[in-house]
Amino acid sequence: MKITLSSSFLQKMVIVGVLILIVVILSFLSKSFLTFTNLNNVTRQVAFVVITGCAVTPLMISGNFDLSIGSILGLTGMLSAFFVTLSIPLWLSIVLSILVGSGIGLLNGLMVVKLRIPSIIATLGTMYAARGLALVITGGNSIHMGLGEKFILLGRGYLGGIPITFLIMVLTILLFYFIESKTILGRYTYAIGGNKRTALLSGINVGSIVIFLYLLVGSLTGFSGTLMASRLGVGQPMVGTGFEFDVIVAVVLGGTSIEGGEGSIFGMLIGAFIVGFIANGLNLLGIHSFYQSILKGVVLVGAVLLDQKFKEGIAD
Amino acid sequence: MGREVPFPPPVMGDCQMDENILEVRHLTKNYPGVAALKDVNLDIRRNTVHCIVGENGAGKSTFIKILTCAEVRSGGEIRFQGRDFNPRSIREAMDMGISTLFQELNVVNQLTVEENLILGREPNRYGIIKKTNESDRIFQLIKEFAPDIPLKKKVGLLSFAEKQVIEIVKTIAVEASLLIMDEPTAAVSENEAKRLFSIIRYLKEKNITVIYISHILDDIFTIGDLVTVFRDGEIVGTKKVAEITREDLIRMMIGKITVDEYIPRAVDYQKKVIEVKDLTTNKLRNISFSLYKGEILGFYGLRGAGKTEIAQALFGLDRLISGDVEVEERKTRFRIPQDAMTNGIAMVPEERLTEGLIMKLSVRSNISITNLKALSGLGVVHNREERAVAKKYVDVMNIKAKHIEQKVATLSGGNQQKVVVSKCLHAGSIILLMDEPTRGVDVGAKEEIHRIIRNLAENGTSIIIFSSEYPEIVSLCDRIYLLRDGEIVKEVKNQEADPEGILQIITRGKRTHHENNLEQ
Repeated sequence: MKITLSSSFLQKMVIVGVLILIVVILSFLSKSFLTFTNLNNVTRQVAFVVITGCAVTPLMISGNFDLSIGSILGLTGMLSAFFVTLSIPLWLSIVLSILVGSGIGLLNGLMVVKLRIPSIIATLGTMYAARGLALVITGGNSIHMGLGEKFILLGRGYLGGIPITFLIMVLTILLFYFIESKTILGRYTYAIGGNKRTALLSGINVGSIVIFLYLLVGSLTGFSGTLMASRLGVGQPMVGTGFEFDVIVAVVLGGTSIEGGEGSIFGMLIGAFIVGFIANGLNLLGIHSFYQSILKGVVLVGAVLLDQKFKEGIAD
Repeated sequence: MGREVPFPPPVMGDCQMDENILEVRHLTKNYPGVAALKDVNLDIRRNTVHCIVGENGAGKSTFIKILTCAEVRSGGEIRFQGRDFNPRSIREAMDMGISTLFQELNVVNQLTVEENLILGREPNRYGIIKKTNESDRIFQLIKEFAPDIPLKKKVGLLSFAEKQVIEIVKTIAVEASLLIMDEPTAAVSENEAKRLFSIIRYLKEKNITVIYISHILDDIFTIGDLVTVFRDGEIVGTKKVAEITREDLIRMMIGKITVDEYIPRAVDYQKKVIEVKDLTTNKLRNISFSLYKGEILGFYGLRGAGKTEIAQALFGLDRLISGDVEVEERKTRFRIPQDAMTNGIAMVPEERLTEGLIMKLSVRSNISITNLKALSGLGVVHNREERAVAKKYVDVMNIKAKHIEQKVATLSGGNQQKVVVSKCLHAGSIILLMDEPTRGVDVGAKEEIHRIIRNLAENGTSIIIFSSEYPEIVSLCDRIYLLRDGEIVKEVKNQEADPEGILQIITRGKRTHHENNLEQ
């Protein structure tokens, strides 16, 4: 019976095992894999997925879905550059961009909760609309000029020898791990995903919580967007195409069920690194990105299948 | 009435085996801790309408579930059409000729009437559906029974009763020889019930035997040839409907009621905690009642009479069309259950598994969820306080869990129910709505839960019990409201409660409403 107590712990250990296996294999296959420069590189790439994933995880635990994050990332990143070119101070540009992200998140939440539009449809709508908005504002062009030196500070800068992006990622993880494990909000997300009806009958204002979770996703994605633009040093409306799936893959690999009710920030973090390492390793081995995409698909389905079998094993 | 059916001659006499379409011998069904069916022996005669009655928990549903293969029997034999009946799936039972009209209908709302009627057996050539005389004949039946149902209409746009007609016609189409109908008139209007009866008579002419399960005794006297009474998992007897009175039947259903003795309580009738005036919703009409401090109030009625609907309306789940609810003399209007809970009302819902508990979570999380704010500061849950509260309820309620981190899914029904009661108490409620508080729990846990309910009332909590179990209502409640078709038909004080009179009232069909109102 000990097993039922720690099943979620065991599950986490399984994906950590998979991650270690991948690292071991890759470090044998490529000499340049286990170097500081390379790991630093992977972490920087993964950071955006992780930061956004921190908000997407509780949303998916609550049994909801968001496809619009890639577009929000593109729109807000582009806006942060756009605002700077309008001579708005950098800090205010960032704040405004995050607010735009929050606004779209809020809109998603209201559509899902108040208008009862299925979350996949509602966020598919904002996915298209936000991308279109980004293209309309710049006329489809990228913004390179007049961004100033400070614009790239967040994305490429260091603080005490540590990349700022990395610091932000760690802080976000800690904050959301705290929310997940210690707070009422965290508990409610599991309750709502576990059984929405019971949650409602237990006096939880399910609607407000779900709206708030969408708002969080929008805000954090907006923040990721400004970070991304800063790293690229350019406001580019098509950034983040397909980003939503990178995040969802990381969250699902991390053990969050699509129906909701279970999952964790920790799992999402491992999931993000599994995807990141595989892509990076294949690059180092000189395997074309076309093949990487195939492998990503196989890993995702395989991992979820493994997870299901594992759970059935515990149930027996 | 249809034609006269001869009463069966003594068993093993000169009658042919063929006389009985279904023979059940020594049928038993055991659930953990409960024997739902004990040595049931029953013959269903060919070409009759055979009614089955009994109170909730008498074993009717289990019997039907075994016949339709929704449950596996623990022992005994069933012979259908003279052959052993051992289907492995609902589909196989259907193919052998037993169809069932469940309360939850099996129609596809997105398809048209025509498409539904031939669903799964579409006459076709190379996958292309073609018209045949066969399908025309089936469509013709709809025109005959219910000319107002357009064949091209989407079934989702039809009423419940119309869908019912479609399902019955489907059973004729698959040439079923036995049709089981589970409470078919529970959710239909008077005229629709009449139509249903004429269809049943048609079925008899077509040599289809009907097993008719109902609470509504009027139905049985209208349509039944034979009636079998179930009680406590056993058959009390089978009678010819023409030779039995309503009173006889009620007496057979009740038997000797073993009721825990009702202990009168000191209810403070000066302190009204809830006053409901003319509450009307989609399912309820002009519900008015009051609840006093420390009182246990009962709502008693058949399935579908409106018990759950009253609980849901009070708890902010159903929209009120009109009416007022006052809690402690303050006028209230609840948008969502959260509003009801901040006003001191908590609910033990009817469906423990899908509404009461979150199966993936622990005993601790399930109990604390209703009032995490009391166990936290600045939105952060204090683990130690939370564990202490969970431990307290596990002790007080005698919840048999290995530890508070055990998943509720792995507890027994009775212990799960105690977790549900605990979470309601943790909410700090002064009013408890309990919908079927002991459904599906074993006898020991039932007594414990009843004791808990009495203790709560002793300590000033006001409780409303919604139950379809007469013994539960009468042993707990100070006052009882009788419900039928979404209306309160009578208020009874516990001391004046007499089971026969009460069953008389709640088992009336819709046709006798006016007559009954005159009696009062």
